[in-house]
Amino acid sequence: MKLYEYVIRRLIFMVFVLLAISIIVFYLTRGTLPPASALAPYVTPKMTDAEKLGVAQSLGVAELGCPSYSAYVARASGCIVPLYQQYFSWLKLALTGNWGYSQIPGIAVGTTTWQLFSDRFPYTAELATVAVILTVVLAIPMGIVSATHNNKLPDHASRITALAGYSMPLFWLGFILQLIFVLYITVPHGSEQVGLLQSSGTLYTQCALCFSNPGGITAYTGFPLIDSIASGNAAYFWDSLLAIALPAFTLSFGTLGALTRVVRSSMMECLRQDYIVLARSKGLRERTVVYRYALRNAILPALTITGYIAAALLGGAVIVEDVFSWPGIGAAALDASLYLDVNFLELYTLVAAVIIVVANLVVDVLYAYLDPRVRY
Amino acid sequence: MSNRNNQERSKEIPETAGEDREKRRKEQPKGELAEIRFALYLARRNPLVIAGAAISVISVLLAVFSGFIVSPDIWKISNLAMRLCWNNPLINWHISSVATCSGTGVYPLGTDAYGRNLLQMIILALPLDLEVSFEIVSSALLIGVVLGSAAAYIGGLVDEAIMRITDIFFAFPGIVLAIVILTVFGRTLPNLTIAVLVVWWPIYVRLVRSQVLSEKEKPYVEALKSTGASPIRILYRHILPNSIYPVLVQFTLDIGGVILVFSGLMFLGFSPDPKLPELGNLVSDGIQYVFTAPWLVIFPGLTILLISLGFNLLGDGIRDLLDPRLRR
Repeated sequence: MKLYEYVIRRLIFMVFVLLAISIIVFYLTRGTLPPASALAPYVTPKMTDAEKLGVAQSLGVAELGCPSYSAYVARASGCIVPLYQQYFSWLKLALTGNWGYSQIPGIAVGTTTWQLFSDRFPYTAELATVAVILTVVLAIPMGIVSATHNNKLPDHASRITALAGYSMPLFWLGFILQLIFVLYITVPHGSEQVGLLQSSGTLYTQCALCFSNPGGITAYTGFPLIDSIASGNAAYFWDSLLAIALPAFTLSFGTLGALTRVVRSSMMECLRQDYIVLARSKGLRERTVVYRYALRNAILPALTITGYIAAALLGGAVIVEDVFSWPGIGAAALDASLYLDVNFLELYTLVAAVIIVVANLVVDVLYAYLDPRVRY
Repeated sequence: MSNRNNQERSKEIPETAGEDREKRRKEQPKGELAEIRFALYLARRNPLVIAGAAISVISVLLAVFSGFIVSPDIWKISNLAMRLCWNNPLINWHISSVATCSGTGVYPLGTDAYGRNLLQMIILALPLDLEVSFEIVSSALLIGVVLGSAAAYIGGLVDEAIMRITDIFFAFPGIVLAIVILTVFGRTLPNLTIAVLVVWWPIYVRLVRSQVLSEKEKPYVEALKSTGASPIRILYRHILPNSIYPVLVQFTLDIGGVILVFSGLMFLGFSPDPKLPELGNLVSDGIQYVFTAPWLVIFPGLTILLISLGFNLLGDGIRDLLDPRLRR
């Protein structure tokens, strides 16, 4: 099979996965939740009951013969359209980009679900990107040291760190870090003692290391770090960097273990190969052998796992975003579930699924491109 | 690891005359006993496994006997007079607003917002967390064994169908599916268990399938087929027992992993009762007091970390013991 055939087959399968996921979420939410929550994204509170019924009928969730809105809400017989028909009318709307209005409180009235999602997504993407960079920067050296100092102190230290990452309740780590930096590391700042860092979303209101009033930036992309560089505002960039440091470190600590373990075992596998023996017997320096010969071959499996990590983090880190009040899609999905914003949940799971499936595909293709031994 | 190990093993058994080696081989116990002794020998050389095993066993024992250590219903009783106080002299929090517990009672880990003894709450939380975790992982294992072995052994359309369904679940952002299930069906303990199980089972299907796939091509399966053994018998009496070890390693590792996810959901506010002694729920309760009574967050979270670390160390160690590269 040729590469492009394989990619096309996987993409077609992705469409089925997305359909299946949307059906599962649709049946779970619309099948059980009160009928009003299915309608809520498309109506405004000011509408009269007759207008709401009209919207429900035009959306295809209420039968045309339904006498009144209260009958629809009470699930009176002959009022609710069968779920599978509802699904098709919902799908038609969703594919045209109409996801209705957001139901999450605290957001400007009239914000559409799509608008909310695209406003929040850059924050999650930025957090995930920084976390993945941190994971790679920490885990690859740890894995290498672990493999070259097998069963010695550096190996044990890096294995314990990796296992601690696997076993760490991230919500707890997030609070402990805040506790340390806010409560126990304080510095005089003006007339009072303030914490080194203080957590409150994307910028700190009061902290020793940051500019308390960094000025504004133009939202070119929605990514604070990129926008602040584009606007030439160094103070804002520094503040954003400080704000992202703790949540990104917390996230990366949870994913560190997986990458370290893969780098370690593939490094050990490579160091056992004949060409390493040959390289050593040629009298090459150990550093050259490890970094130029072994690492180049050992890095491939690490690529795979990094792809999965990136996809999982981009799909939203609900718990870490919640702990640090980070305004990303994961935290918004949690709010959406609390306030029964069914369309946001649908949109979120579908986008996350697209990211996961596409990332897996990209990793597979990249792997085949980099390692000619791999065949489909 | 293997190089050093080989060297040490060869030191123990010097390769002198063939006769000598024969004699030594006869002295050594045979079969399973030798296997176990060799595994124990390797375990002794790895202090981390021992530590993991110790933590796991202690936490399970504490969970089993928690009802005898602490009265099981004590969590329902509030004592607001003793709210958020601390009288353990070993730790000074350096927070001026911390109240000292009045009276003579000893509260090694302080009291919570309901005036309950935090140490008692943690001990009461252990059986709940561990039981739910065992339930979820065992159910996932069972589903994995049935579906995974069916997919691998029958193959064809059955394999395709089962694997595509697991692919769908792998594409779901895990914790959000659990959140949707809890939102829709309500926050009860059985629903929490099911929500985590729905997220967890696909791993086992993939794992069991890949194990059975590699095992069923081996010569002994051919031999069994030629003797006329039934496929069910071959699968359940021969292939599965031979391919179950990596699955058991995953089982041990996942006990810790499931506790993290389960307590994470509790932390996010999906607890059926705000007073319920569950480790994630205890952390969640303590958050609003994190800057005045940090012990409420620190100790329950530390317990989660320790239990999870214990099972992960144990599973990791077992994996090393079973690793053929190490046993060569």
